[in-house]
Parts: sequence; C-alpha cells; structure tokens
Amino acid sequence: MDFEITPEQQELIDSVRSVLATECPTALVRDIVENGSAPEQPWKSARELGWTSIDLPETLGGLALGFTALGLVIEQHGCRIAPGPFLATTAQFLPLVCEAGAPDQLERFAAPAGAGELSGALAIDHGRAAEHAAGESLRARRDGAAWILEGERRYVLDGDVADEIAVAARVDAGDGVALFVVPQGAAKARRVVAFDASRPLAHLRFDGVRVESERVLGTPGAGARALGRALERATVAAALECVGTCQSLLEITVEHAKNRRQFDQPIGAFQAIQHKCADMFVQVEKARATGYFAMMALAEDDPRRSLAASMAKAAASDCQRLVCKEGIQIHGGMGYTWESDVQLFVKRAKTLEALFGTGARHRQRIADLLEI
Amino acid sequence: MQLHYDADTEKFRAELRAWLAAHRPSAEEMRAEPTTSSAHLTGWSRRWQRELFDAGLLVPGWPPELGGRNLPPVQQLVYHEEMAKISAWRSNNPQGLDIIAPSIFDYGSEFLKQRYLVPTLRAEIAWCLGMSEPGAGSDLAALSTRAEVHDDQFVVSGQKIWTSGAHHADYCFCFVRTDPDAPKHRGISVLIIDMKAKGVTTRPLPDLIDRDREDFNEVFFDGVVVPRDHLVGPLNQGWSISTGSLAHERGMMWLSSAARLDGMLERMLRMAREPGPDGRRIGESATFRDELASLYVDAQAIWFMGYQGFAKFAKGEGSPEHSVLKLFGSEVAQRAARVATEAQGVDGLEVEFHGTGEVEGGGEMPWLKRYLQSYGGTISAGASEIQRNIIAQRVLGLPRR
Repeated sequence: MDFEITPEQQELIDSVRSVLATECPTALVRDIVENGSAPEQPWKSARELGWTSIDLPETLGGLALGFTALGLVIEQHGCRIAPGPFLATTAQFLPLVCEAGAPDQLERFAAPAGAGELSGALAIDHGRAAEHAAGESLRARRDGAAWILEGERRYVLDGDVADEIAVAARVDAGDGVALFVVPQGAAKARRVVAFDASRPLAHLRFDGVRVESERVLGTPGAGARALGRALERATVAAALECVGTCQSLLEITVEHAKNRRQFDQPIGAFQAIQHKCADMFVQVEKARATGYFAMMALAEDDPRRSLAASMAKAAASDCQRLVCKEGIQIHGGMGYTWESDVQLFVKRAKTLEALFGTGARHRQRIADLLEI
Repeated sequence: MQLHYDADTEKFRAELRAWLAAHRPSAEEMRAEPTTSSAHLTGWSRRWQRELFDAGLLVPGWPPELGGRNLPPVQQLVYHEEMAKISAWRSNNPQGLDIIAPSIFDYGSEFLKQRYLVPTLRAEIAWCLGMSEPGAGSDLAALSTRAEVHDDQFVVSGQKIWTSGAHHADYCFCFVRTDPDAPKHRGISVLIIDMKAKGVTTRPLPDLIDRDREDFNEVFFDGVVVPRDHLVGPLNQGWSISTGSLAHERGMMWLSSAARLDGMLERMLRMAREPGPDGRRIGESATFRDELASLYVDAQAIWFMGYQGFAKFAKGEGSPEHSVLKLFGSEVAQRAARVATEAQGVDGLEVEFHGTGEVEGGGEMPWLKRYLQSYGGTISAGASEIQRNIIAQRVLGLPRR
C-alpha cells in the first residue's frame, strides 16, 4: 500500500487550501449561521477551478483524476467547514447518477453537475446504512412507463435548494430498490432547523409525485447494487470531510493551549492538557489514514471497498467524538460561548457523524461483513 | 497513492515467499527447542538467522557483506510485511539485530565493526541492552551506573534492570555515566561489556505472568574492567546514540506489533463463533460485536498509519509519528486482550499454557495472561505517558515545562 501523496496531489491540496483560506474564512460560515445568507463562495471557485468535475470521466467533460483526488478536496473543505452544494453534488448526487444512469442521463445530469451548472442532492434513509438505505418510508409504484412516488425522505442535505435530487425508493410490490432523479419542487420540501445551520437539511414529502421514464435510473427493482456503491462514496466523503473538520478543531485547540495562560504558564505546558492533545492527534491520524485507505479502495474498486467505507466512517466517528469533547473542554469557558468558533466545527462534525450511518451503525455492518 | 505496488516489488514479494516457505524453521523444531529469552540463540535459530544472512535477507537495506541486498525502501517494507506474517522472528536476539547492530554500524569504530558486526548478524553472539536502572526508567538520562575513565580502560560499577536476555547474552551494549559533573544528558557514554567479565552478575527477574518466565534480569557491575577501545562513539556523547538506537527500534517495529495484533483479532473472530460462559455464541452479544468491530478498525488503522508514516520515512523525513504507532498499537492490543477476557468470563480462569506468545503449533497464551502481557507493551520502550509527551511537545509543539 502506497500512501505517499504524489506531487500532483500535493499541488491540488495546496491549491484548494489556499483558495478556501481566502474564499471561505470562518467568518463566512458564521455569517450564514447567524444571518442565513447564501454566499456564492466557495462553490463559485469550485466550479471555476474544475473541482466539481474532478472525479468525472473526460467523456463527460471531467478531469478524470479519480475519487482519490475528490476525497482530498473534500477533506480540505472539511478543514474550512465549507458551506454550499459541493459535498452533496460531487459526493452524493453524482455517484448515484454515475452508477445507475444511462448515457443520455449522464449527459443530462452528470455533465452539467460536473460543470457546476446544476447542484444535486441525494435522498436516502439515513437511519439505515448502506444496502438498506432505500427504506420503506418512500415507495415507488409503476404507472404505465412512469412511476409514482409516495412517502418521505428525511434529512436530505441541500434537499430544498439543490436543482436536482437523486432519490432511492422501495418498489411497492417487493423489496427492490428503484432510483430516480426528480427536479427541485417535485416533492414538498420542509427546511429543518438544523443543528449545523451552514448545512441545510430538508424533509421531502412525496405526495404521488409522478416521475417520467427518462428520469428513472436503471431498472426499477434492481437498483440495490448501484445504490450501495454510490453510498460507499457518500459515506467515505462524509468521513473525509469530518477528518478535515477535526484536523482544524485540533489545530485551533492546540493554538489555544499555547496562548492561554493560567498559573503563570501556557495551559499547554500542563501534562493534563498535553495528553488530551496527543490523544486527539492520534485519533485524527487514525481517521485520516483509514479514510485514505477507503478512498483508494473506492478509486481502485478494490474488493474490500464496502468494509473500507464502513471502517472509514467508524474511524471518523471515534475521531469526532474525542476531538469535539476535548476541543470544547480545553477551551474552557471560552469554548462554551457562541462567539468561539469551536461550536461551528463541533456542529459540523456531529452532523457528519449522523449522516450516512453513525459509527455504531457502521460497526454493526463491519461485524456483518466479518461474519461475527 | 495506490493500494498496489509495482510489478518489480510484487515479484520480490513472490520470491521472498517462496524462499521463506523453503527455509523457515518448522513448528516441530521450534517446539523441540523452545526459546526462553530474547538472547537465547537456539540451534534452529542460529541456523535460520545464518541462512537469512547468507541469502541477503537479514537486513535487506544493507549491502551483501552485511546480510542485505541494498533493497530500495518500498521493497524493505514488503520484506518486513512478509517477515511479520511468519511465526518465527528474524532473530531470536531482536535487540542485537535491530538495535545494537545498527548502532555499531552507525557509531562504532572500525575495530568494533570488524569485531562485532558480522558475528552479531550471523547469530554467533547474542546481546543485551543495558539501559534502564532502578533510578532511571522513563527518565533514562538519570542513569547512574558509573564508569571511571582511565587511560587504557574503564571501570564500571552499578546496576541495570529490565535487561532482557542478560543471562543468555554474550555482550551488553551498556549506557554508563562517564562524567558525573556534566549536565545529565552530556555525561553518558556507551560501552560494550563482556558478560563473562569478572564482576558481572545477573539475576533473573520473572515477570508477573509466571514465575518461570525469565527474560528480564537485574545486572550488577562490580568494578568491571572494560578496554578503552570498547567505547562506542565519542566519550560523553552516548545520549545521541540512545535516541539513535531507539529510532532503529521504532523504524519497522510497528509491523511486527501490527501483525501480532492481527493474530489476536483472528483469535477473537474464532472465539466469536464459540460458546461463552452462558452457553450462547459469544458473537451473539451486541457488546462483543461492537467492541470487536471497533478493534478491527483500530487494528487495520495501525497498518494504514504505518504505511502513511513509512511514506515520510522513505522520503528521509524524520517521523516522530512513530510515537503514535507505539502508543496506539500497544493500547489497542491491551483493549483487545481485555475485551477477550471479559467475553470469556469465568471460562478464562483456567490457565494451562506456559508459553511466550501466540506460538504456532504450541497452543495459545490464555487471554488473562495475554492481558497482563499487554502491559509490557504500554510500559516498555517508552511508556504511553512518555509517548504522549513526545507527541504533544515534538509533533504539536506544545511547550515543555
């Protein structure tokens, strides 16, 4: 296993980091949280610099750098707790469209999403991980060549703002999985008052929503495999964004420990604080290495990909649990305030923990895969 | 970044596997002549290490005359991966091969290299490492074993402790105080001491697991005469050798600890299918399933972190991240053993096996003993608390007090 970051990858990381440092300061995230503003950045930069098409094939106008490159970009977005449609479009909507879509659908949905001309979302059942993510709460029944959707999908990231929404439903008669793309407005969207206000979540109500055949992805009833594979990408992407967020929270906390003085010395000179910081560092390293393994397993379509994806989410879960806890604790009273940026990072990390299956859910899946 | 190596590297792996299949010691010979300490060179272990040396497969990054074949770093990694998977260690005197030989190579005079390097590599002599003392554990630089400096010799008096294999070792690579007036890090030197010299006595110190497990020793030096030319490196510069020696120890050590942990996990996966104290399959317990899955993630993560650290190491960047591997690896092993003991419950109380590890064909160490053994991992070679200090201060840049 070669974990060495290539010079091209390093260049990409440096470029994304420097663009986001300018275009996505924490103040921008705070402004969204406090004032509900919807900024152009950093989505505008992502579009202009081609990050949106990084994992798309050249035939669809993509850069074809693979999921590894996308994962590294997403990790950097996590470091800046970047808002906007990048994660849902590139790592949730596009994977499902690309796994299940026919060539004309790829032209219609994937190419423009890659070009940043349309934003996407993915509506699944987050309460059930992986292969069960097309839970019964949304049913699809045939109506001639078209399909009718009845039910709901909850906690859809960007669900009320994305232009197009990829949807996983359960076929009415039987257990099959059916996949669709519906335009914004087809379902009734209700914005959730979300824990992380920079990450818009919506509940989507489908009251007999009719979907024409041209918007049906693959063969209804046979979508489980495509959904599973797309979810592995979404899961690993969430894990990597979480790693980035935790990395920043660690850095902010270490900086605080170096500067905050009590008892005539920096609190970071106390072993009690040092050992907490060391443990945070270990967890971040663990989650990043596990996330990178999963990123490569998906990029290379390795047989371990399912296990790798669940391991990445489980490791990210362990990481955020400790980093959020000690990040607030080491900041002391300041960490308990609204003004401190700590809360912004903690809320992002906790949101990423809950989406696409919690760590505990993925450990169950690991146990299943290991046949324990 | 990719999961697979290039064709040349995989070709080397295939050749190595074939060679190992033909030459590795058999379970029968290992069982017939068991190893009782980390300096106990049994007949089969001498034969095996000598064959590795002759084939250029003992220290693959070194030149052929030193038991290597000048392999590039990635192939060295593959070598260590494969060696970690077989049940026999490369040497039954690991401190001699992995710490002392590289230190003599890096710091020793031509005379010392000529005299000790090749015999060590060919398993003709065995070593112990004289570092810790009753008053110098984590604070190694506080060591007080005294070496009086004369024109042609040193005279050594003092005591070492936790000295692995000292009762079987031919020589001790020993850290001594040669300038009691200098600041503590600047008055230390390294001497090679003949364990048969007059005034050296060893007293085995069984560990907490079993009274007959004797690897540790107390070593007493009472006016031991050491020739002047047995000084390693410059006088009073021993501290830099100590950091160098430990770096050698850490360099590839994570691979064997990762492989040992994989062995524990395999055992636990088997255990999940067996009945627990209540007669039900252990794997049916939701707690056990969650814990075992969590341990599996951590055990795999050690490999991934190791490969990530290796990418830096191969580029020549110093990697204090080895502390992360040592800290995390030893603590995960301890958690694994603890989870296994709790799953066994009362069934774990019967302990028949008197061995030293997960020995192929020789049975498996009972979990409660394995759990106690795991403390050797979190205490030795820099306790977990010391590793956290290193990470906090050297990696994260937090201030020293």
